[in-house]
Amino acid sequence: MGTQEILDGLKTAVIEGDEEDAASFASQAIDAEMRPMEIIKGAINPAMDHVGDAFEAGDAFLPELILAGDAARAALDLIIPTISTEDLEDAVQGTVVIGTIFGDAHDIGKNIVSAILAAHGIKIVDLGINVSPKQYIEAALAEDADIIAISSLITTSLPYHREVINTLTDRGEREKFFVIVGGGPVTPEWTAEINADGYGRDAQDAAKVVTQLLEGLAKGKTAPLPQPVLVGALEHG
Amino acid sequence: MENKPDILEILTRTQTGEYCTQKEWDTKRIPGTIRNILKEHDLAGACDPDNPVNTDMELADKFYAAGYQAALELGFHCTDTERIISVTQGELDLAVEAAPSELLVGEGQHATLLKSRTPSDPYPMKTACTLGIAVSEEYWPAMHYLIAREPEVDLLNGGSLITIRGKEVLSSTPIETFMGYEHAQMHKEARRKAGRPGMGAIVSISAVTEYGMLSSYGAKGGYSTKDLALVLFPSEMKIDYRTLHKVVQVHNVGGAMKADSPAMIGGMPGPPEGAVISSIACALLQYTILQPQTGGGEVYDVRTLSNVNREALWAQSLSMQALGRNTHLMTHPCMNQVSGPGTEKLLWEIAASVAVGAVAGGTLSTGPRSAGGKLTDHITPLECRFMSEISHAASGMALEDVNEFVKAALPHYEDTIKEPDLGLPFQKAYNLDTLEPIPEWQAIYHKVKDECIDLGVPLNPW
Repeated sequence: MGTQEILDGLKTAVIEGDEEDAASFASQAIDAEMRPMEIIKGAINPAMDHVGDAFEAGDAFLPELILAGDAARAALDLIIPTISTEDLEDAVQGTVVIGTIFGDAHDIGKNIVSAILAAHGIKIVDLGINVSPKQYIEAALAEDADIIAISSLITTSLPYHREVINTLTDRGEREKFFVIVGGGPVTPEWTAEINADGYGRDAQDAAKVVTQLLEGLAKGKTAPLPQPVLVGALEHG
Repeated sequence: MENKPDILEILTRTQTGEYCTQKEWDTKRIPGTIRNILKEHDLAGACDPDNPVNTDMELADKFYAAGYQAALELGFHCTDTERIISVTQGELDLAVEAAPSELLVGEGQHATLLKSRTPSDPYPMKTACTLGIAVSEEYWPAMHYLIAREPEVDLLNGGSLITIRGKEVLSSTPIETFMGYEHAQMHKEARRKAGRPGMGAIVSISAVTEYGMLSSYGAKGGYSTKDLALVLFPSEMKIDYRTLHKVVQVHNVGGAMKADSPAMIGGMPGPPEGAVISSIACALLQYTILQPQTGGGEVYDVRTLSNVNREALWAQSLSMQALGRNTHLMTHPCMNQVSGPGTEKLLWEIAASVAVGAVAGGTLSTGPRSAGGKLTDHITPLECRFMSEISHAASGMALEDVNEFVKAALPHYEDTIKEPDLGLPFQKAYNLDTLEPIPEWQAIYHKVKDECIDLGVPLNPW
């Protein structure tokens, strides 16, 4: 099989959410001695762009996003260890621990963000719903994560965002993780008030925030940021 | 509760039902089942965004049959145990038949009679205002007194408190339990002060977990069991113990329940047609598993977390029509707007969306959800009045006429659904000394109302 056929196969496997095929084509690409960044840029990124665009257009739905993200991750788990040091600068890599905050059982927004982030090749550790501040922090430490992402749909769960940050600070571990927040009642003003590091209005915005933070991390920036990264302004009086 | 399936038996299925991981449920079972049913019933591609109010009643009946099949094939997934609560056809039929078709909410002369409705039913769709928008403790009493004072508003739902006695309300903590009881006092005082002590209510919007509900609903000095207890399940086709605690509490105290969770266009059931099927299935299942008195049938669009866009309006009209024509359930078209108070667009979004729910056969609509519920205090009594006026006036209209009205309303706002103007908070849109809307907001209300009248909605002018 030629390299273009392998890339086409991998792209199709990711779009169709087929983890086994995605891993198989990724292995074939590695065996064919294709450069890792060539595989990512030639197959995985365009596949995820395709699925993301289709979701926005109403031609693909949340299950497809989730499955495509999982397939991309299956391929990336094989590809990333083969990336050379010089190529690492081109690759946005990172681990995000994500969950819906304590007291809140809504999962659909968190699932969309997880799928979009996975689609960008970012490793996702999904803690589910009703996640306590302690659970976020323990998981982030265990996974050596870069970012803690907190989703909320309920106003009375918002104070727990601050508790995550305050607990990190009190434990002397605030600088280990960027903390980003999002969801229905979350605003840029709230993000700044609690000294979080990022806010995205929707899932695509969240992906931009995560990408910017990971790029910043690669350039030596650490948490907490003096000003949060805010994507998706809100117009109001 | 006689003649209904035994709720204790159904609750045990959270432990004994078929095991299914959440991922399997989300990515295979729901989408796969809905996709197959869409194909089997030849309903794929039925959505007509150019005509946001469906006028084909055969289509509504076909969707009902599809939703009924989905309810029996799927059941609810319990997220705590990852087991499926399946129901039999006999149980479902029995539960739907046993559900009430009328319910008096509140007490005395201020009570509101909810009734099952059919498309274009002249009995008006009732309203409960507002829809779960965070409100500062400082403004809550005045705002809710003013909402309760609006004569067209049928039930008081109300904003969520973000503090109680100045302390942040953290869900699942004793502070939420404390808040639940104290909020009941504030809620009752707003209705009493407005001269409507027997006005019915939906409670407790601030109680996001079972704690706030357990401390207040049916408790001595708390909310009356003549009020409707709000039970929201986490998402379509899913249930959890938190929700079921509330359910059992309402049954134990002999109260009345409104249960909901919207189906999501773009979510697990996929396209608008899939969301209609999921919405109908959810409604049928909730009446079997939770056994509420009212609720069900909502559809949102996950891309905007609202239902004011064409596809969502179409889906909402179908879901209400299907349930209204084929059952006597008292459904709940819950319409979520995206623009904020003080803007023309908010009123057009309310006019279009609420008219759809009213004409399609919804029993009760909760709202408005000004500014998408995103910002604290972004809700005013004036849009509550307007929503209720539209709900009552549009109820007896012909489906075709409301379709034409909505087609005329949509161009007023649909270009900014994804980038809405979130408008003004209560304290800027109202004069807090006179407790009246500021002149600019009042003028916008009259302008849009006059234009709605010109477009055929039989509102009372002024």
